[in-house]
Amino acid sequence: MSALTIRSLPVVALVGALSLAHAAEPEAAQPGQELFLERCGGCHLEGGFGTRVLARRVPEGQAELQKRAVLPAALITLVVRRGLGSMPQIREAELSDADLAAIAAYLEQRP
Amino acid sequence: MIAIDTARLEQALTRIEAIVGAQYVWREEEARHGYKDAMAPRDPMSYAPRGAVAPASVEEVQAIVRVAGELGVALWPISRGKNFGYGGAAPHISDVVMLDLVRMNRILEVNVDMGYAVVEPGVGFDDLHNHLVENNIPLWISAPAHTWGSVLGNALERGVGYTPYGEHASKVCGLEIVTGTGELLRTGMGALEGAKTWQLFPYGFGPSWDAAFMQSNFGVATKMGLWLMPEPEHTLNLAMAFDRPEDLPLGVEALRPLKLDGTVQANPSFGNIIRNLSVRAPRSEYYQGEGPIPAEVLEQARIKSGVGHWNFSIRLFGDKAVNRINAEKVKRAFAHLPYEFDVSEWHRGEPLKGSGSPTPTLAALGVVDWLGGPGGHLTFSPVSPFTGAEAWEQYTTIRAMYEEAGFDYYGGFTAGQRYLNHISMILFNRNDEDMMARANRLFSDLIEVAAARGWGEYRTHTLYYDQIARSYDYNNGALRRWNETVKDAVDPHGIIAPGKMGIWPRRYREVRA
Ligand SMILES: Cc1cc2nc3c(=O)[nH]c(=O)nc-3n(C[C@H](O)[C@H](O)[C@H](O)COP(=O)(O)OP(=O)(O)OC[C@H]3O[C@@H](n4cnc5c(N)ncnc54)[C@H](O)[C@@H]3O)c2cc1C
Repeated sequence: MSALTIRSLPVVALVGALSLAHAAEPEAAQPGQELFLERCGGCHLEGGFGTRVLARRVPEGQAELQKRAVLPAALITLVVRRGLGSMPQIREAELSDADLAAIAAYLEQRP
Repeated sequence: MIAIDTARLEQALTRIEAIVGAQYVWREEEARHGYKDAMAPRDPMSYAPRGAVAPASVEEVQAIVRVAGELGVALWPISRGKNFGYGGAAPHISDVVMLDLVRMNRILEVNVDMGYAVVEPGVGFDDLHNHLVENNIPLWISAPAHTWGSVLGNALERGVGYTPYGEHASKVCGLEIVTGTGELLRTGMGALEGAKTWQLFPYGFGPSWDAAFMQSNFGVATKMGLWLMPEPEHTLNLAMAFDRPEDLPLGVEALRPLKLDGTVQANPSFGNIIRNLSVRAPRSEYYQGEGPIPAEVLEQARIKSGVGHWNFSIRLFGDKAVNRINAEKVKRAFAHLPYEFDVSEWHRGEPLKGSGSPTPTLAALGVVDWLGGPGGHLTFSPVSPFTGAEAWEQYTTIRAMYEEAGFDYYGGFTAGQRYLNHISMILFNRNDEDMMARANRLFSDLIEVAAARGWGEYRTHTLYYDQIARSYDYNNGALRRWNETVKDAVDPHGIIAPGKMGIWPRRYREVRA
């Protein structure tokens, strides 16, 4: 019997966006970028549900968070923790404050 | 209701901090924002919790339960809390501390030869899928329409997927449970120390308890065995769209014999036009008026979008030769209908997209933006007998009620072997008070009308546990009373998810009486 006892490390949460990550972003990974792709990429990359919903609300070209001209870290933090519109909140047990800060810093610097 | 006074809550949370570390405990405002259900037609803060804790191990769960029992502080377990349309991460009452198991996210075992996995509560469908793919394990998950949720949480709620293993509750084999007194028990064969068949033989010796821990508040599940389907050699999909609402009964009748004799093993779902349109574009693209979209407008939208009034696909999983024979049988069964199947095939080794293996997706959640406001949803899910006549009666009754209340009817019938899960969703704007009031009224009325016709719900939103529990009223609610008798015995302090599925511990019943 080949019972594989695999994984004693925590499994990463949320959508297999890592594969998308490699396709979309050939440049060297920035802090927060990988986390963004992994944790937010399920909705907030091109064609994602979040991007589509945002496209109905923000100026053209601004729906994809990575392409947003101005995206203050404080706003990202608030929206993630409180939820906004169609986006449910993401709680600290799922996404630590440190990871959220890294994602927010990455998005604030973009593009 | 039993309020937790602030001093006692603080005492409990301080002791819990000593168990898990202060960074995994949240209080009042912070907990309420983390665990509210913003998508319900209710002020989300009105039933958001007082605190939350996220343990990392079974031992921590046990220790927390003991503290809670000692201090009489109720806990509300969740796995990933993505129970959208049924309450999200929120509890039923606010005077609880969330027991958030999302950090317990290990895939403990995948047994390839025997086709099962053992998972902790925090393991998501995506995680399990990715794990199987990355390790070239030839087993497939079955998943709901979106894959954000927990494999364990969804199965405990008796969630539904779309492969031959789609009736998730029936694929559970063995649970590990922390009881209301903090003891650890294993169900089925797991009750035997060193058992070799815990995930293989589901029944055990004596009464079987897996089912009793589903949709229940008898304990906290910390591990689950789940059978996984061996990757098939081939899948064959037969997609069909009906132009007219009134073709539903014909489709149901054609499908039943194929489900009953096992020709079709997966759970095809007849989804109505709004279910289809809502993931493509917001409603305003089709109609800007108030009230439900008029039939003529809907018909124009249907033609323009090239979709059916009912859309479904029957996917066959297995050996190519067998699938092809079965496909002919399916075609014959539907031959009297004036539509053609759109047929596609997948062979092992080809990319999984289009195979029927659920790949990670959140696309289905797009429905919440149907009305363009901050969207909300409330899912009403009665079970129908698997007959055309009953499905039709249920559909016409429920659709008429949706429309009378001013809502578009969004719904579908997912086929079990002898039943149909009729899943409908009230979609509303959360900034429209009147619409939210109508959504609540409609939901209550639906429960009443359905019960009067002999239809009960398979699952429901936390807000409606009590009303639905009351609708299961045979012999003066004998089953509810039985559940409460069991509850009092297995959770003597009355601390695990009080009120879940309308099952209240004694101390809460006494306060209410
Ligand atoms: C558009 C849309 C489509 C959907 N499609 C589907 C679908 O196809 N099929 C389907 O089944 N659902 C569907 N859902 C509903 C829901 O989102 C999923 O079922 C989701 O998987 C449930 O969330 P979860 O798995 O994170 O469970 P959780 O939210 O973690 O758990 C659900 C409940 O189970 C209990 N529970 C959880 N864990 C434990 C535990 N360890 N011990 C004791 N009790 C526990 C708790 O009462 C908890 O509230 C859909 C929702 C939407 C909005």
